[in-house]
Amino acid sequence: MLDIQTLVGLSKDLSAGLCIGLGAIGAALGEGYTAGFANKAISQRPEKGGDIAKSMLVGQAMAESAAIFALVIAVLLLFMDVSSAHPLKAFALIGAGLSMGFGAFGSAVGGGYPAAEACLGISRQPTVTGELITNMLIGSAVCQTPAIFAMVISLILMFIGFENEPLNPTWAALIAAGLSTGLSSIGSGIGGGMPAGESCAGIARNPESAGQITTAMLVGQAVAQTPCIFGLLVSFILIFKEPSATNSIVPAIALLSAGICMGLGGIGPGIGNGYAAQGAVKWIARRVEASGTLTRIMLVGQAVSQSTAIYAMVVSLVLIFVL
Amino acid sequence: MENFTEILQLKINLAGIILSFNVKTIIMTWIVMVALILFALLARKKMGLVPNPFQIVAELLITAIYNLCIDTLEDERLGKKYFPLICALFMFLLLSNWLGVIPKLCEPTRDLNTPLGMGILGFVIAQYAGIKEKGLKQYIKDYLDPIFFMAPLNIIGEIAKVVSISFRLFGNIMGGAIIIIVVSYLVYGILLPPLLNLFFGLFVGTVQAFVFTMLTLVYIAVQVK
Repeated sequence: MLDIQTLVGLSKDLSAGLCIGLGAIGAALGEGYTAGFANKAISQRPEKGGDIAKSMLVGQAMAESAAIFALVIAVLLLFMDVSSAHPLKAFALIGAGLSMGFGAFGSAVGGGYPAAEACLGISRQPTVTGELITNMLIGSAVCQTPAIFAMVISLILMFIGFENEPLNPTWAALIAAGLSTGLSSIGSGIGGGMPAGESCAGIARNPESAGQITTAMLVGQAVAQTPCIFGLLVSFILIFKEPSATNSIVPAIALLSAGICMGLGGIGPGIGNGYAAQGAVKWIARRVEASGTLTRIMLVGQAVSQSTAIYAMVVSLVLIFVL
Repeated sequence: MENFTEILQLKINLAGIILSFNVKTIIMTWIVMVALILFALLARKKMGLVPNPFQIVAELLITAIYNLCIDTLEDERLGKKYFPLICALFMFLLLSNWLGVIPKLCEPTRDLNTPLGMGILGFVIAQYAGIKEKGLKQYIKDYLDPIFFMAPLNIIGEIAKVVSISFRLFGNIMGGAIIIIVVSYLVYGILLPPLLNLFFGLFVGTVQAFVFTMLTLVYIAVQVK
């Protein structure tokens, strides 16, 4: 039989591996995507090769920041002192690793889209290189929001003490808190990247309307992030609600499935909202005088596509508070 | 590092009802308000055709937000009506998010109560604008769209907007603050923290203040149409 300290130590090593292992997938995909498009852009306009390569590297660095967050969490986990830890810490650390590991995926893939489109845009319209890089930086910085949320949940799970809480239902709540934010960040990260990419393409096509295109991109990205904000809310409730001690397995499974429900339920709406925002940004770049109407239709469409995330949130709250 | 979720609270017992005040948030909010009033006074001082530096900044800001209001609401009268609110909201949030860059001060928006209050304010104003512009009958009818039994979902969707708008701002500012604290602890405060403050405090703070303001404006625009 393992003693508690060995168990917590094992869980921290497992969690560090999961965190950076899962977290590395997305960044590599996003960066490769960017490099592919940079090659295309250079072949179209070889004399601008230097500018394009520079913007590719800047964009890749932004896309990689989600993986760097995962690396920071993994290193913190590896060197954590668990010599006098409570048994609940074992579950909290697994939750922290899962949250950051899954949470880094979407933002890193999403960050690749604006970087790729900015490279293509420079080859298409070299005179607006500065505007394109600025827009790409704003877009990919906003893309990192889901990864930042996942990192916050990881750090809270790692550094808050759970000594006064009952072991039985709380262990499930801590893992569920990680899954809720981590999984729901996948959709929101990818969905946030789509309008950012399209806005870089739009600015290259229609540089005079850069202001309106960036505004529409920001609104679209913000709404695409709503599912992962619901995931964050469910995680906060799971962490800070103090459940009553019980011997039954039912409340624990209810809490665990609340996290899985919100996490999985947030993936689809995040990507769906990204499609809506991408379309709106694309057509605002082509017909800027209709930007008011297009933005409104985008929001209405996103609200409908988001209703499934709201169903998932309602079911999670019922699982947490009623069962 | 373990106590970054701790909040300084003042609890007052008023005939059995316990009122709690987050002292630090209130002080920081007052600092922001005083700074905004000072800015307004400086911009108004000796107003003229040859403007002073504060007047230039104020004029640029006001023109940009005024055009944004009219473009988004697609109506000159409505744009004029809601412009003071939108402009004040943006300036307050912008300065609030920037405040954390100064040592010993912290952003009022790091406390969930501030963004939540602003979110509820925007929600109530959007509903008021909807009733005022469309009439009560059309306003209620829009909630029964497309069929009457969709009404509960429409109402939940509307309330979810308040949750998402306020948690987006709170999560970004709080997340940035936590990341700055953790990284400063790891590198003993060398080299990285100023860059992180620049990114999370100034850059993300500006973007999120703009997103919050823009979403409030767009929610009003969706209600009045």
